[in-house]
Amino acid sequence: MPFDVLQFVYLVVAVVAIAAFVAVSALLLVYLERKVAGHIQRRPGPFEVGPHGILQTMADALKLIGKQPFKPDGADSILFWLAPVLAFAPALPLLLPIPFGPLLTGLEVNLGLILILAFSGINVLALCMAGWGSNNKWALLGAARSVAQSVGYEIPLLMSVLAVAFMTGTLNLSQIVADQGPWPWHWNMFTQPLAFFIYFTCAVAETNRAPFDLPEAESELTAGFHTEYSGMGFGLFFLAEYTNMIVVCSVATALFLGGWQAPLLPGFWWFLIKMYLLLLTIMWFRWTYPRLRFDQLLNLNWKWLLPLSLVNLLGTALLMKVF
Amino acid sequence: MEILAKLAFALYALVIITGAIMAVTAKSLVRALVGLIGVMIGVAGMYLLMAAPFVAFMQILIYVGGVSVLIFFAIMLTKASPDGDESSPNSLRSTLNALVAMLAPGIILSVVILRYPPESFPRPTDVGAFDLGEGMLGPYLLPFELISIILFVAMAGAVLVAWRKWGDK
Repeated sequence: MPFDVLQFVYLVVAVVAIAAFVAVSALLLVYLERKVAGHIQRRPGPFEVGPHGILQTMADALKLIGKQPFKPDGADSILFWLAPVLAFAPALPLLLPIPFGPLLTGLEVNLGLILILAFSGINVLALCMAGWGSNNKWALLGAARSVAQSVGYEIPLLMSVLAVAFMTGTLNLSQIVADQGPWPWHWNMFTQPLAFFIYFTCAVAETNRAPFDLPEAESELTAGFHTEYSGMGFGLFFLAEYTNMIVVCSVATALFLGGWQAPLLPGFWWFLIKMYLLLLTIMWFRWTYPRLRFDQLLNLNWKWLLPLSLVNLLGTALLMKVF
Repeated sequence: MEILAKLAFALYALVIITGAIMAVTAKSLVRALVGLIGVMIGVAGMYLLMAAPFVAFMQILIYVGGVSVLIFFAIMLTKASPDGDESSPNSLRSTLNALVAMLAPGIILSVVILRYPPESFPRPTDVGAFDLGEGMLGPYLLPFELISIILFVAMAGAVLVAWRKWGDK
């Protein structure tokens, strides 16, 4: 069947393109993060390697690849090495159903949204394995925090996504984007501002970014769940964190910001611009809000975000029924 | 395509069986859990093979992302050591008993299925999320609601058990 062969080739090309996109974006984001952090704190950031330090992340990546992977004494060897792989492995299925442009979707899945939500849960499992397998107190504490955090924040995140799915009546991301219009008042953010707010807050928490970075809180837990990792073990966790950031921002762009829909420029560039604006916002958060305490983190979730998202969902359902 | 499907089936079956053996024989609780997770992922693959992507994704979302993480959390609260020697080695007698208990229903079921093969579709039909929702809120409303009651009872039971333990102190 020639058609199937063509589809297979398309899928392979998509997977390779996504892998390249992830790697390049991660390099760029690490550089951007350090520059943004530097300028927010009125210092230049990396400046020595290359003009304006632009080759700094390349040097760091080379260093990470060259380092010896090291397993601490008494660690569970299977879990210890499985964890970083499992953290990064879901990256490809996560990015496949995302519509980067009108025709730029890796894999057209009717249940694309569910696929993304399902595979993003695997990350927590990887953190658990890393924390437990390291045989280290800080790692274990980081893993325990990560579980409590992500189990809690996944619920309002699902509910806010569900509100959009209610409105559009589909779980296909391409379809959701196509239903929105080119101008901001056509976007789902306009009709679902509360859902967007809840989604974005929970997304920052799910990716363990500051102010929700308790699983790896440097000042209390050394490095949290990845304390014991060196070389590419640490590199994979790092890559996974940035990939997850890209994924949550892409999903936010597709769900709430009209995806590739925008006037003037071709769609793909708009998608990138919107996604990177969201990524920069997440970096901005990091240097604006201090880290939450653990009880504050759980209170915020269970007493505010969860009831709000429930009210939002019920309100959406009611309005859908009335009109 | 036929061959590809069979290959995929073999792969998933291998994942499931390896995971199951690991879950049963591992000395460390956490390794047993990793085996269980392997089984769950393999079962999700089987659902995909049966053209039920919604069920497969739900399997991953709920069991791999949710339930197994909670089990992990529960294990972390115990004093299990990473070396993993929580269980003493099984005696030969109990191993044999377990083998008999496993093989008896397996052999009986496989003989029955081979003797009276159930009528199957030439290709599995894909049931979309829409039809699934219609079904759950239509003809299957009562079983659907009963399941939620079972979950509620399980949760209430867990709270009750924990309550009693607190009371003892």
